[in-house]
Amino acid sequence: MKQLHNFSEVFDSQAVYRKLLEAMANPLRKVSIKAQADKMYGADAPFLALAMTLLDNETSFNADSDQKLTDDIVLLTSAKRTNSDSADFIFAADPEKAVEIIAHAKSGTLADPHKSATIIIKDNEAENSVISAYGAGINGVINVNISGNAKRAVSQRDAQNYEYPQGVDMIFVRDTGDIYCIPRLVMVKGEE
Amino acid sequence: MKIKRNEEYNYGFLDEGSKKEIRRSTLKAVAIPGYQVPFGSRELPIGRGWGTGGIQLTLSLIGPSDVLKVIDQGSDESVNAVNIKKFVKLCTGIKTTTDTHKATIIQSRHRIPEIPLKNDQILVLQVPIPEPLRIVEPKEEVTKKMHAEKDYAPIWLQLYESIIKYGKVTISTEYPCTVEDRYIMNPSPIPKFDNPKLNMSECLYLFGAGREKKIYAIPPYTRVESLAFDDVPFEKENFKGKKCCLCGSCDTYLDEIFNSETGERYYQCSDTSYCREVRSR
Repeated sequence: MKQLHNFSEVFDSQAVYRKLLEAMANPLRKVSIKAQADKMYGADAPFLALAMTLLDNETSFNADSDQKLTDDIVLLTSAKRTNSDSADFIFAADPEKAVEIIAHAKSGTLADPHKSATIIIKDNEAENSVISAYGAGINGVINVNISGNAKRAVSQRDAQNYEYPQGVDMIFVRDTGDIYCIPRLVMVKGEE
Repeated sequence: MKIKRNEEYNYGFLDEGSKKEIRRSTLKAVAIPGYQVPFGSRELPIGRGWGTGGIQLTLSLIGPSDVLKVIDQGSDESVNAVNIKKFVKLCTGIKTTTDTHKATIIQSRHRIPEIPLKNDQILVLQVPIPEPLRIVEPKEEVTKKMHAEKDYAPIWLQLYESIIKYGKVTISTEYPCTVEDRYIMNPSPIPKFDNPKLNMSECLYLFGAGREKKIYAIPPYTRVESLAFDDVPFEKENFKGKKCCLCGSCDTYLDEIFNSETGERYYQCSDTSYCREVRSR
């Protein structure tokens, strides 16, 4: 039998989850899942490592028009593919489409804000935009460098004017295996 | 404690599907601090109400490099704490400790350790009744709507009535607090003394209610304010003039111990690990 990957569903999933939890609890902190992603295959290994950690047949996802990524995620997790406006997890392999995806992603309801999308965005652009971020998980105000794509994604999120607790949570992934999160309560001010 | 991992159990007892669901719920709970995320609480070889929510969180978190500490009412050696440690060790083989500094995951019932926790530590709290509005509204359907509409008037009224009747707020444990100016949250049955430790803490707090099937969280550096009126500020327990009979600490949460033979009352640190550390200095 052909073995596609060496990613352990038990131990590597746990390691990725702990990194992800650290990133979600400490927004904009970069953590690395390289060691685990290297055990997956193909160009989207960090995406697949996250999918293996979070998705199963109880969840739905959308990977836009990336058929290869969609097929891989279905093969590995048995998650249900669906439209981006109803998906629990949205994988944006093209960061330039993130703005459009955020505009249509589900944001939960006031009663059930957890029924909102988690948007996972691949972004390898240079991090040249400086932003100031504050909110839950951040000690005071921090200045960090993010990419133009990430900044546009956050601007689109803000333009949606979600009434908190509604909103979307974003995970940014680089091919190097670095990830960071921008959950819905994190406020960002751009600086030129 | 020499217990070898039983390989017949899946690592961390729960099946991977269950862990995934708990992990997804936990991530949403962290993204929406104070909001109770429903989850499919699993059966465990321990009765619901004995810490199953906390155990499920711990089992979904734990990995081979973790060091676990379990405390019950501040004590590392109580029956609940010892048995939870044994159970987790049996299905993971991880290291356990009583030293708060060395633990990466601390599971607790009714207390937050005296030592301020660090950013790389996670405190898992066992919660019997996660709903702070349950005391004023019995129906889950209604409390969910109240949270959605931020309708917290009844719980404020309850505090007001307590002040009118007794001259002070009489809630001693499970004192409700507001998270990031949005959700009113039950901090689990920790004493009021521990409520300020939740505010702008360095560590991540996770709350698990197995019987009620809810998970909620407070990420680091999150604003958590105990409910209070402008003219009646929040007050925690006051141990003025009292000190621990073992270590002499006078700034910790103290348990009162009554000697029925001599009629003497004395006090002892509730956090046994901290008390031991002070004595060893």
